[in-house]
Amino acid sequence: MSVEKGTLEIRNLSKSYVVDNNQLQILKNINITFPSGAFVSILGSSGCGKTTLLRIMLGLEKQYEGDALIDGEKIKGPGSNRGIVFQDHRLLPWLTVGENVAFGLDKLNRKEKKLLVDDHLKLVGLSGFENAYPSNLSGGMAQRVAIARALANKPEILLLDEPLGALDALTRMYMQKELERLWEFEKITMIMVTHDVEEAIYLSDKIVIMSSRPGVIKKVIDIPSARPRDRASSEFMHIKAEILKEFHLGTEYPFAYAI
Amino acid sequence: MIKKIFKRLGLKDKLLGLIVPFLLLIIWQGAVTKHLFSELLVVPPLTLLNTLIELAKSGDLSSNILASLNRVLIGFLIGASGGFILGIAMGLSPIINRTLSPLVKALQQVPEFAWMPVIILLFGIDEFAKNIFIAIGAFYPMLFNTYLGVSGVPDKYHELAQVYQYKSHRYLAKVILPSALPSIITGIRLSLGLSWVFVVGAEFFGTEAGVGFMMISGRQLFQIDVVMAGLVVIGTIGFLLNYVLQLLEKKLSGGRVAFDGGIA
Amino acid sequence: MNISKRTKSVLGSILLPVVLIILWQYIFSAGYIASAILPSPHQVIKTFIIHFTENEYSFHIISSLKRVLSGFFIGIVSGFLFGLFIGLSRTAEKIFSPSFNAVRQISIIGWIPLIVMWFGVNEFPRIIIIAAAAFYPIALNTFAGVRNVPREYVELASVYGYNRLKLITRIILPSALPSIATGITLALGMSWAMLMAAELFIPTNIGIGTRIQIGREKFNMALILVGIITVGSLGFAMTSIVEIIAHAADRGRILRKEI
Repeated sequence: MSVEKGTLEIRNLSKSYVVDNNQLQILKNINITFPSGAFVSILGSSGCGKTTLLRIMLGLEKQYEGDALIDGEKIKGPGSNRGIVFQDHRLLPWLTVGENVAFGLDKLNRKEKKLLVDDHLKLVGLSGFENAYPSNLSGGMAQRVAIARALANKPEILLLDEPLGALDALTRMYMQKELERLWEFEKITMIMVTHDVEEAIYLSDKIVIMSSRPGVIKKVIDIPSARPRDRASSEFMHIKAEILKEFHLGTEYPFAYAI
Repeated sequence: MIKKIFKRLGLKDKLLGLIVPFLLLIIWQGAVTKHLFSELLVVPPLTLLNTLIELAKSGDLSSNILASLNRVLIGFLIGASGGFILGIAMGLSPIINRTLSPLVKALQQVPEFAWMPVIILLFGIDEFAKNIFIAIGAFYPMLFNTYLGVSGVPDKYHELAQVYQYKSHRYLAKVILPSALPSIITGIRLSLGLSWVFVVGAEFFGTEAGVGFMMISGRQLFQIDVVMAGLVVIGTIGFLLNYVLQLLEKKLSGGRVAFDGGIA
Repeated sequence: MNISKRTKSVLGSILLPVVLIILWQYIFSAGYIASAILPSPHQVIKTFIIHFTENEYSFHIISSLKRVLSGFFIGIVSGFLFGLFIGLSRTAEKIFSPSFNAVRQISIIGWIPLIVMWFGVNEFPRIIIIAAAAFYPIALNTFAGVRNVPREYVELASVYGYNRLKLITRIILPSALPSIATGITLALGMSWAMLMAAELFIPTNIGIGTRIQIGREKFNMALILVGIITVGSLGFAMTSIVEIIAHAADRGRILRKEI
């Protein structure tokens, strides 16, 4: 069976911890396919296991039941076909911006490295910063370097773990636009974990809504709207209302006033 | 006007700091001229200065300092590299840590100078014995600080290394050691400082050169000026070693003051 | 049989010492090394028992303890007062701390020849040396503790109209307590280390250090090792007691914080 490169499948996946002799179910019977080249968001409140799911796809978590497949093959551990952007930029403070971007390129020679680093810093709009240290960057810039580091490895899939969660609201919106631009440019699969409804709608082809304890997939919503999306459009608002209803946060017909 | 200049230069504070040394000098000089103490017990400040100059001119001072520094360097290199290697091993492997730490903790309880008789009995009082004595003192601070640095590498960096499949020496060189570096430098500073303290003690046990030797022979010949000159040398070199390494410490950890995403 | 984690870790900890002792006994029994250089564990234990059953050894121990405790108390009381003084008054700090810091650069061992020339070979210089060793850490830590009292607490005191004495006893000292406790622990370690130097460099007939020295003169390694073990255990016991007290003081602070 051949699968298009950059496809990630989760089949009958469950995971539980044992805490003080009590079985604590984190993920229960997850089934989902992330198609090649799509932008998919996993949306849920904290504690729903969405980050655990991402760590399974990354290969950092190995104890679970069921299957996690990349391009039809079982995920055995971290690999260069998947990139990751953590919520904290996780740049190494003792390396320059350029050296951080080259962190995963150790096998290449100096010239190839420099070419890729320059390319990707340019891509995230930070040309000329390769000799700066992370401590001299703002939060948004640091996160862009982290994205460059992940993309420099030429992954088939980019995993994003609440990548914009630590940024202020305005920088966040700007970075959402940047992410969309990068996704359209790189044409790779992107899977983002987030708890920001608007962010998910703005960026995704598909939103996977999860609920907590145990973490299950509640609903999958396809968003066919044209890009770039207008946050103020009625279509956008409509999708937002539909998603909020899933979290019992719908405002249209609050029970007390529904006479 | 003068007040303003005083303030700008912080001169007032500096002058306050000179009160005590100045008073001491007056009392000291006064005690000597009034013959309150025997010249054998207290020499006037100027005599001390003269002695220092004469010792420097005759080359005695520099040869003794070099002899001590040479011992410090060898002892430090032996002790600190031992502490460094063991610190890394204990920081990386919980098994090694559990196996060795009770032994290390027990041995650490023994005061440094209690080892001297053991060392003399085993190796005599030659150069090697002194190097070993200094090495023991240099060993512990290096071990503890290296261990703290290595075992304190944040989980998030371990994860990153896992994602990018860093292993063995590459992992050590690119992630663990840089992350532990500030702590390791602190270890070097403390370790070198203690080596300098212990070299003087080691030289009290008998030798033919060194700052400690200079002081002990000064004491035997009742040259109190030479003994005091030794104190000045010990203090100055101790200060310089500490100062230089502290600068290095600040410089190396300067670029990474706790940073976790600034303001956009 | 199921061995618990704790048992395993305890077993792991004593494994190496046990192996070393067996190895040590073996090397001796096989006759590789002369017993003057490395006595067998059996010989050391025998010497240990002989010494501890005779009154003389306990006399040496008590004399050393007296010596170290006199120096330690003189050192911590004067060091505490000095640290408090330069901590409370900025003028006092400016007057005294430059000289203090200059003198501090000279290691205490260096003072021994001068002090012996001044006071002769007797108990006084030994106690002075030990007191000086205790003085520095307690003075520095008291100073730091007093200076690091949070400004909010001092403001609170002025709001409630505390006078200077009340401010010191109710706010500054309790707040500086953990730092002072650290200073006391360090001071004890320093005194104990300096006791050995004092007994070796300012010769005396009484004391554990002296016993170790006699072991060297008689080429009796067993005697030296008994001395070392005694010194190590006593140092450990004293440090533990002080640490427990310091810990209790610290806990008291946490409790007070919660109220």
